[in-house]
Amino acid sequence: MSIKDLNRSLWVFHVNTGSCNGCDIEIVAALTPRYDAERFGVKLVGTPRHADVLLVTGPVTKDMKDKLKRVYDQTPDPKVVMSIGNCGNSGGCFYESYNIDGPIDKVVPVDVYVAGCPPRPEAIIDGVVKAWKKLEDLEAKK
Amino acid sequence: MITMQKELFRQLFKRAFTNQFPAKHAPKSVNALLEAVGKGKAKLNPPVPVPENFRGKIAYDKNKCIGCQLCVKVCPANAVVFKPKEKKISYHTFRCTFCGECVNVCPVKCLTFTDEFLLADYKKD
Repeated sequence: MSIKDLNRSLWVFHVNTGSCNGCDIEIVAALTPRYDAERFGVKLVGTPRHADVLLVTGPVTKDMKDKLKRVYDQTPDPKVVMSIGNCGNSGGCFYESYNIDGPIDKVVPVDVYVAGCPPRPEAIIDGVVKAWKKLEDLEAKK
Repeated sequence: MITMQKELFRQLFKRAFTNQFPAKHAPKSVNALLEAVGKGKAKLNPPVPVPENFRGKIAYDKNKCIGCQLCVKVCPANAVVFKPKEKKISYHTFRCTFCGECVNVCPVKCLTFTDEFLLADYKKD
């Protein structure tokens, strides 16, 4: 598969690595009729094997570290990893806590960071648009 | 039956509840769309308006700041870092929890909330 195949209808899989559920609710809110991300072909799927995009929330607790790695490995290439919320971006209020294994980018490489605590659904859609733009730029470089 | 038909007829002319941010459908090329927007040929749909007292990205007025470090003390996420040489602060958006403690505690009101919330980026500052 090439990057070109990723260009349309990104299917997303959502991983919670110890988030408070705030960001998870906003992700689901982005798929409700009010914001309707499904008109872009964005669909929440039940397994990482069907997904193009990983939406990772939470500051990666010690328990979730190897699970997140496994989910990342199960996602077929090419893939996009989005870190939703400031817990995943930097640790947020758990910054440098002894119970977390660092923010998400210490465990898996992250393409788009979405800031917010939690980010509004539009901010998440904006992140998906930025991921699209990145894919197009990568394709143009080839 | 007639009630249902009335409702259906009414819904035909109603505007959709969906907020079509940033465009109605996925464009063929995002780069081309953004270029057209830059030239003023196309328009992006605005997001849902934010409520009053919305806690968006925090704006920092460096000239007003007196370097009292109260915001550094109250910040639960260590998002505010003091720079001792300049006696000013630096604020990390990607570490902030947008709780508003620093805005409330600031004696000279140099920290304020803005309405900006589209903060997705490729790298953290």
